[in-house]
Amino acid sequence: MSETLRFVSDYLQLMALSFMALVYILRIRWLLRFKAGRERQAPSGSADTNPRKGILYSWANIASPWAMESTRQNPFFYAQFVLFHLAVAANIIMSFIIPYAPGLMRPGFVVRGLQGLFLVGCLIGCYRLYRRLSDPFIRQISTPDDYFSLLLLTVWLFVSIWAAPNRPDQGEAPLLAYFIMTAFFLVYVPFSKISHYLYYPFTRYYFGKSMGYRGVYPIKRGPQPKSTKV
Amino acid sequence: MPEKLEPHKVKKVIERMGKKLNRQMVGSLVGCVHCGMCTQSCHYVLANPDDPTFAPAYKADQVRKIFKRNFDWIGRVFPWWVKAKNPYSDEELEKLKDIVFGKCTNCRRCSINCPMGVDFATLNRMARGLLVSVGIMPEGVAVASKDQWEIGNQMGVLREDYLETLEWLSDELENEMKDPAARIRIDKMDADVVYAINPREIKYDPRTISDAARIFYLVGENWTMASDGWDMTNFGLFSGDDELGGAVARRLFEKVIELRGKKLVLSECGHGYRSTRCEGPNWAGMDVPFEMESSVMTMLRYIKEGKIKIDRTKNNLPVTFHDSCNNARSCGFFEEPRELLNLVATDFREMYPNRAENYCCSGGGGAMSMSEYTPLRLKAAKVKADQLKATGAKVVVTTCHNCVDALTDLIRHYKLGMKVAQLVNLVSSALVIEKKVVLP
Repeated sequence: MSETLRFVSDYLQLMALSFMALVYILRIRWLLRFKAGRERQAPSGSADTNPRKGILYSWANIASPWAMESTRQNPFFYAQFVLFHLAVAANIIMSFIIPYAPGLMRPGFVVRGLQGLFLVGCLIGCYRLYRRLSDPFIRQISTPDDYFSLLLLTVWLFVSIWAAPNRPDQGEAPLLAYFIMTAFFLVYVPFSKISHYLYYPFTRYYFGKSMGYRGVYPIKRGPQPKSTKV
Repeated sequence: MPEKLEPHKVKKVIERMGKKLNRQMVGSLVGCVHCGMCTQSCHYVLANPDDPTFAPAYKADQVRKIFKRNFDWIGRVFPWWVKAKNPYSDEELEKLKDIVFGKCTNCRRCSINCPMGVDFATLNRMARGLLVSVGIMPEGVAVASKDQWEIGNQMGVLREDYLETLEWLSDELENEMKDPAARIRIDKMDADVVYAINPREIKYDPRTISDAARIFYLVGENWTMASDGWDMTNFGLFSGDDELGGAVARRLFEKVIELRGKKLVLSECGHGYRSTRCEGPNWAGMDVPFEMESSVMTMLRYIKEGKIKIDRTKNNLPVTFHDSCNNARSCGFFEEPRELLNLVATDFREMYPNRAENYCCSGGGGAMSMSEYTPLRLKAAKVKADQLKATGAKVVVTTCHNCVDALTDLIRHYKLGMKVAQLVNLVSSALVIEKKVVLP
């Protein structure tokens, strides 16, 4: 392994990660500086709902496609959401495994599995870009950050396919590209919409707490009539 | 054509936004990922499938871009990157008014369909409040708010008219029951129940008052209505004006305290129930020392305890139930009305979707007071019209006066041939009157 690859896979990653962590700490502090609204009224709704249940129900939202009409009625959209995020998560984990525990990636099935996941993620990224450009509703609400973030992730997943075998002896270019992109990603993320995963626990906590207090969460769907549907 | 507005209003809106922001709002402002999952949940989008400006995320972005430009770091340094932007003129604030008042009823259906938990309805209400604070609002909102501030109720019902209406309702009840004890008692001290109403009942639908009075009489309830502070509705909810919201709620609460009432029972009104029961103590900054409940729960309890007898065969038309957004999605109040409806009607048919996922009647958020947006409202009501038609019901029951008006409007507009009723009407018409009541 060359010194350049050693630097980008280790020190550069740590520097970028530290920067991201610092910015995230500042971001959370900024968010927490705003006062949280409180509920003075007596709780409402049925007795088996409460803020704790509301919070848990709300946090579990991403893993509960039946919970929202928007995901129930769009199973394909939910499936691609899951696969895309799994691919990104796996990619983040790989960025640690390659420099610090490369033995875990020696089995061929692990590499091929990851490559398959990254390929699916990359294809989904392309589909999402197409959707963002072609659907007038999504295009209307899209910002340059939306497009760039998606493009960055899609390209990063593509590069990861070639980096996953972790064979610097066969050429360091894919790994160099991969780790430089990862470092850039870590630096860019806190300033982009990709950091939504930082906000998710907070937004869902407060929404779930209020809805649980008011008896709306967990949502109970009563028996639905068979034939009537809008 | 609006008269030329002072440019300083933009600065005031931005300055006041900073004071209104709380943690929940900021989370909603930064949390949107523009995924578009909220889009198909909105009745305005479903009725206007070719116009992307009805999408909840787009509407939210009109508020979000101001926040980002002034309070969010990327929006302040690289505004073009995240489409952060201040309004450049007060005319743009007028356009924002048309969005936040005319294109959204604050029904929260988008909020419960957002993967990130972005509560757009709260942002929309905040935006309304900011515009109202600089005098930009639909005329109907201005008039109703003014009446509620100055006269004490949102429909400008004068005290003498209110008391006179209760007087002749009492005359009718006394004649019907052949008992002076059936009269409505005003300002009775130490009552177990203080009953507060929507001024629409006094002005347009007094039979709901006499229906409730009949039920209270037959139960032998120790109840009263107040001579002032009787309006349980609250235009602060629609206008986004927390000061108005607090003042109205406080007026009602203080009257109950003055009368030493044990429980405040609220007639069937979605926004009134939410404003008084769920938001009022927060706006007024007041811990309320008495219970509050909807009259639906009161009537349900009376029936379950055997205090009134019901013959449900008197309500034998097929009925369906519309969940008021404020009751369902903001107060978790959707099972009790169904339980009561099943006790007083023989043929109850659910619409789909229902409960917390039901669609807005299109009249929420004060829309019924904003006549300039009526065509938009009626177009968006198509979704509800289709829901109603699919049930085959002849009567739609709801627990909200705004919904009554909106449903009546859309039934007429889409020629559905249905009637609208509230639960108090069905309970009253199903009453079995057995013997003379002895009041405490």
